[in-house]
Amino acid sequence: MMKPVYISAAAALSPQHSFDADRLLPDVVSSSNGKLNVIDTDYSKFINPVAIRRMSRMLKIGISTGMRTVQLAGINTPDGIITGTGRGSMRDMELFLGDMIRLHEEALNPTYFIQSTYNSINGWLAMQTKCTGYNQTYVHRGHSLEVALLDAQMLLNENDAKRTYLVGSFDEMTEEYFVVKNKAHYWKKALPESLYLLQHSDTNGTIGGEGAAFFTITNEAEKAICRIEQIHLLHEPTTTSVQTAIDSVLATNGMKLKDLDVVLCGMSGDARYQPLYQPILENTTAHTTVAAFKHLCGEYDTSTGFALWLATRLFATQTVPEVLIQKKGINPSIGNLLLVNHYPQGTASVMLLSIDK
Amino acid sequence: MEDLKLTLKQQIIESLNLQGMTPADIDDNAPLFGDGLGLDSIDSLEMMVLLERNYGIKIEDAREGRKVLESVASMADYIAQNRKI
Repeated sequence: MMKPVYISAAAALSPQHSFDADRLLPDVVSSSNGKLNVIDTDYSKFINPVAIRRMSRMLKIGISTGMRTVQLAGINTPDGIITGTGRGSMRDMELFLGDMIRLHEEALNPTYFIQSTYNSINGWLAMQTKCTGYNQTYVHRGHSLEVALLDAQMLLNENDAKRTYLVGSFDEMTEEYFVVKNKAHYWKKALPESLYLLQHSDTNGTIGGEGAAFFTITNEAEKAICRIEQIHLLHEPTTTSVQTAIDSVLATNGMKLKDLDVVLCGMSGDARYQPLYQPILENTTAHTTVAAFKHLCGEYDTSTGFALWLATRLFATQTVPEVLIQKKGINPSIGNLLLVNHYPQGTASVMLLSIDK
Repeated sequence: MEDLKLTLKQQIIESLNLQGMTPADIDDNAPLFGDGLGLDSIDSLEMMVLLERNYGIKIEDAREGRKVLESVASMADYIAQNRKI
């Protein structure tokens, strides 16, 4: 079994006020058009003005979130940069492919091509932080961030030297991508107000989302916001396999379901995936608070990033805002949290986090 | 020639997304790279695409390309002599 690793800083650009807000989830944002988009920030604070003019929105979002995390961690140069993205920079790819068709594959702009590659954000972050260490981008759909975190955990487990890796995720929702996914029945036919998405869990489909979240992952316990005890991945999850995975993670860490303070669930209001979470709602004891997050960020490949950022804030504030709560527990403090999430293309993950109370 | 230079400046601003700049801010003879407009190697690729797309000019020789892209004036001269569209 791998040793736990620690999150020492976290930042997220999301459809909520997560980036600069001095308190957790102030003025919750809701949408009625079927998707939740990132609230932009002043990207020029984090990116060279000469470089920024060429960057797409996804690059600005990803780089700014990564740089903010490095700032919050109080470091200049991480030992490595590891990211996960389900789709990379979709807008640049759409523009590049659109030009290929329109211009018959001649005189194509290099910028769209360069920026559409999945590792553009890693490259920019490496240049801005002068990081010449390990640099990796994972593109594993709904497991992209989880695999990046596992990679960081394995690197930190390899030796005892103190190290800090910048680990993050980013995905964007473009207009075209929204239309394409609609044809694949990803979204609800009758679009609900996003804030009330989970009240529509009896029909198929969900709402789209996007966001970036970055973390500094370290083996230095004294710097920790919280500890990642274990990450468990599931392919083609079923109600039974998710429950088995939860039981396994808890047993490995000497815990039982009744010991959990918070379970943060990726239920998305989609009737097809609600059964993955129903046993959690039914089997957790009165001690445990069951919370959800996708009505605040929408569905995307790396929504685990928003959830993990949210988890760090729950630990820091020791409160679960009412807007998240699906089932209120009587436990007054948060010492551990189980994050359970799925993505519609056949992936799910279970992650156990904790702090020393 | 003055009309061509003005059009070229507008095309450069648009294709390189030089936010906040107007054609009047670009001196005809100032270097486009380094100390002048401060453009970089990716911008040079974008300007090669601009020449091909708007004027049908394909520059195969890198040394020739460097000379052509020295300034707006040098670009306009080359376009006037070699344009195909």
